[in-house]
Amino acid sequence: MLRGMPPHVRAGFPRGPMDHALAQFTAVLVLAAIPLPAGAAASRAGSVPRPDPAAAATVALMTAEPHAALTARDSALHVLERFAYGPSAGQVDAVAREGALAWLDGQLDWYGASDPRLAAIEKCSPALALAPDDWARRFTETRQAVKQGVPPVMARDETRELLDDVRALVVTRAVKADEQLREVMSAFWFDHFNVFLDKGDDRFLLPNFIEDVIRPRALGRFVDLLVATARSPAMLYYLDNVQSVSPENPPPPRPDGTPARRTGINENYARELLELHTLGVDGGYTQKDVIAVARILTGWSMKPPAEGGSYVFRPGVHDFGEKFVLGTRFAPGHGEEEGVRLLRLLARNPATIRHVCHKLCARFVSDEPPDGCVDAAVTAWEASDGEIRSVLRAIARTPEFWAAIDAKMKTPLEFVVSAARAVDAQPDTSARLADAVAQLGEPIYRQPSPAGYPDRQRDWANSGTLLARMSFAVALAAGRQQGADVDLGALLPATGNRDSLVDAVNERILGGAMTEHTRSVIVSELGSEPDPARARALAVGLALGSPEFQRR
Amino acid sequence: MKISRRAFLRAGGLAMMSYGMDPLFLARAVYAQPGGTPAAKPGRVLVCLFQRGAVDGLSMVVPHGDAHYYKERPNIAIPEASVIDLDGRFGFHPALAPLKPLWDARVLAPIHAIGSPDPTRSHFDAQDYMESGTPGVKATPDGWLNRYCQHQREHDETPFRAVSFGPELPRILSGSAPSLGIDNLRAFGLRAPNATTRDRLTRAFEAMYSVAPTGILASSAQEGFEAAKMLQKIAPDRYQPEHGASYPNGRFGQSLQQIAQLIKADVGLEIAFADVVGWDTHVNQGAEQGQLATRLGEFAQALAAFAQDLGDRMNNVVLVTCSEFGRTIAENGSTGTDHGRATAMMVMGGPVRGGRVLGPWPGLEPEARFEGRDLAVTTDFRDLFSEVLARHLHSGSLDAVFPGHEVAPKRYLGALRA
Repeated sequence: MLRGMPPHVRAGFPRGPMDHALAQFTAVLVLAAIPLPAGAAASRAGSVPRPDPAAAATVALMTAEPHAALTARDSALHVLERFAYGPSAGQVDAVAREGALAWLDGQLDWYGASDPRLAAIEKCSPALALAPDDWARRFTETRQAVKQGVPPVMARDETRELLDDVRALVVTRAVKADEQLREVMSAFWFDHFNVFLDKGDDRFLLPNFIEDVIRPRALGRFVDLLVATARSPAMLYYLDNVQSVSPENPPPPRPDGTPARRTGINENYARELLELHTLGVDGGYTQKDVIAVARILTGWSMKPPAEGGSYVFRPGVHDFGEKFVLGTRFAPGHGEEEGVRLLRLLARNPATIRHVCHKLCARFVSDEPPDGCVDAAVTAWEASDGEIRSVLRAIARTPEFWAAIDAKMKTPLEFVVSAARAVDAQPDTSARLADAVAQLGEPIYRQPSPAGYPDRQRDWANSGTLLARMSFAVALAAGRQQGADVDLGALLPATGNRDSLVDAVNERILGGAMTEHTRSVIVSELGSEPDPARARALAVGLALGSPEFQRR
Repeated sequence: MKISRRAFLRAGGLAMMSYGMDPLFLARAVYAQPGGTPAAKPGRVLVCLFQRGAVDGLSMVVPHGDAHYYKERPNIAIPEASVIDLDGRFGFHPALAPLKPLWDARVLAPIHAIGSPDPTRSHFDAQDYMESGTPGVKATPDGWLNRYCQHQREHDETPFRAVSFGPELPRILSGSAPSLGIDNLRAFGLRAPNATTRDRLTRAFEAMYSVAPTGILASSAQEGFEAAKMLQKIAPDRYQPEHGASYPNGRFGQSLQQIAQLIKADVGLEIAFADVVGWDTHVNQGAEQGQLATRLGEFAQALAAFAQDLGDRMNNVVLVTCSEFGRTIAENGSTGTDHGRATAMMVMGGPVRGGRVLGPWPGLEPEARFEGRDLAVTTDFRDLFSEVLARHLHSGSLDAVFPGHEVAPKRYLGALRA
């Protein structure tokens, strides 16, 4: 509907502060276009149609394409901007032919089918060739070298190159992978279970955390992801659980006879587990629960780096006493298994389900997601025992999702990757594009706060970085951005006709989303650029730097 | 408290001359505003500097009167003969010599045994707490300098009100109030191969964003373009420091020079922030010379150059340094120091009641130490920052800037004139 209109009509729609009005308007249109169950019909004339979860589920079942009010291309662009890092060149048409929800189902049901482009990238990565033991060994050697007086800068040179590769992979995979949803969800879960690359041992633990903990479980059951992160040395080190010991079982004195420094629980991981990973800050837990959780998780630790740094449970420092968490009794005498029991309990707590579903809707629908889509996500979670695939499938079938076109502002990572995809850029093996993301304010894997990077508009609409986004857009289109090869000649014919050039840029690069205002500005600027190739680069650069392209 | 001009001259005027500094601002600073609270007026600037990596406060501001210092550091203590004595108990590391005239002129004061109430020895947690202003609370979404800007709205609207110098906007300035991250004044604005292209792109994007579909994108872009245009008028690449000031090479010196540039350009700068790194001296820290001495030398030269360059304008400037924690009292097995607890910070500028080492000194005897090993914290860093905000910027909303911290003027150190 919206995208299908002529640009001058679209430009007239209220947006931004008026997003709510837009959402209402479109939601009504969308609902009007699909068969509604009898119970929901009464709300049609009301302000915000908010079907109860059961009714929403019925809608999803009854209609294969709940977005019938949108054109096929508009629907394709919308799913690609949410469940992928934006369309690659020409992808809007391909997905429009396939059907937006059919494409999404293909992404949801990928289940490890081959992705040759991704495989080619991964084969060339020196970081991916290393096993966890290799990382630990290199890290230990570097540490030894520094102790023996080798200047840290030199000693860490090789490690730094590997870590550059780890950061570069985030961007390269996101740009090139056909299985886009795994990249999107891996980034989502990494922010949910954030780990900080520059904290001590996490320099060598983080790569394994990404590859073996997050990525394989990005679309699976939440409880599996939760248990895997709780057993990952990267998380246990980052949030200090490796230092958390039962006061009743202090660690033995050091060889020189001095007492071990740590002689009590450390609440850091326990608190973040409840606040960020599961229940949410208003999830109804108390300080007593935090302490009980910390006691249950005493002993969840890691081997020293020199011994590989893998996960280990240390019964010697575990608190075997009785505990109560959220009113549930944990009887005395239990070891590691009571931690697993706790994590399962937390994963199935209604507060957790609501908290994580709300966060998913904030990522895929809008910064302040309407109750309708959150309810639908919760229903799907409960029906599937927290299978993320099912939850995403349900979110994509809510009217709220289809009413939220352009409601999100791109994060720096989303902006850089979507721009690279739009012009079919070929990333090289350097970390230059990852550095560009960092310059826009989102250094990959370098968020010290366990809350991860935010993804709301108010966090990213910063004047300095907005100008930097424009500069990146122009440099990328002009072939001046380091780290990526761009051949606009393969995408757009060079033409002396300004109007047809801008129309082609709108169709091929912006998926038809250009407003009449942006169009007139670009056409007018092209008047002072007689050279067809330079005019083409200018038009693409201005389009990628436009307000339309900052949103998704 | 008034200081006689004679006392000032005796204490510092001559030393100042010997460093080629113009003592005029310092003299005025001493005499300015005798007693009473001056009315809030525009042009007041707070410069906040973060020594990332945990600076060794004990070798920066040396407790040379305390025998434990020498006993615990057989290889890396600053020898008594090399210490620049301040008050008989404490003295500067010799690399801080450029700061001595500022001490003598009573516009600089170190604060010792200051730090966070949260005992973490993790760099990232401690930095996070010092920037969020909420020790022990990780979920705080914004930094305390940003919260100050959120609650003090009467300041002139300018894109340069709060500026951080560095590649990213730091936690301390992140939040809903507009703040500008500038990597380099000379490179701010749209990047383009030449001025013609830049002007064309600026024109095009400015027009494009003048009706951007959401208010925040439009206003952010406008702020950015406005800042870029103001900078073009300032012509930052033609800047010459005044009064013979010479900034040290390197990122930190450049940051301070650019802050001075913005102050002199009268673009409405109120809050400036910059990092200075390299303080995590676990190995081969050095004594009078070596790793720490080199870092301190650059640090002191940059601060002295900044004061000299600004001249009289220092009357409206308060500069405060901070670091996430201090280092162990005892040296470790690699002639370095490990993560400790309290450290030393500095406050400098016209409004400062300097020439004194501030903060209760807990002592270095084993029973006075935190966990038996580290310098104990006797001053909560928020009390220093609160005093600076209250007395220099006349902030009336400290409860919102430091939530969960009881604002108590009785705990102020008297670092600034009330």
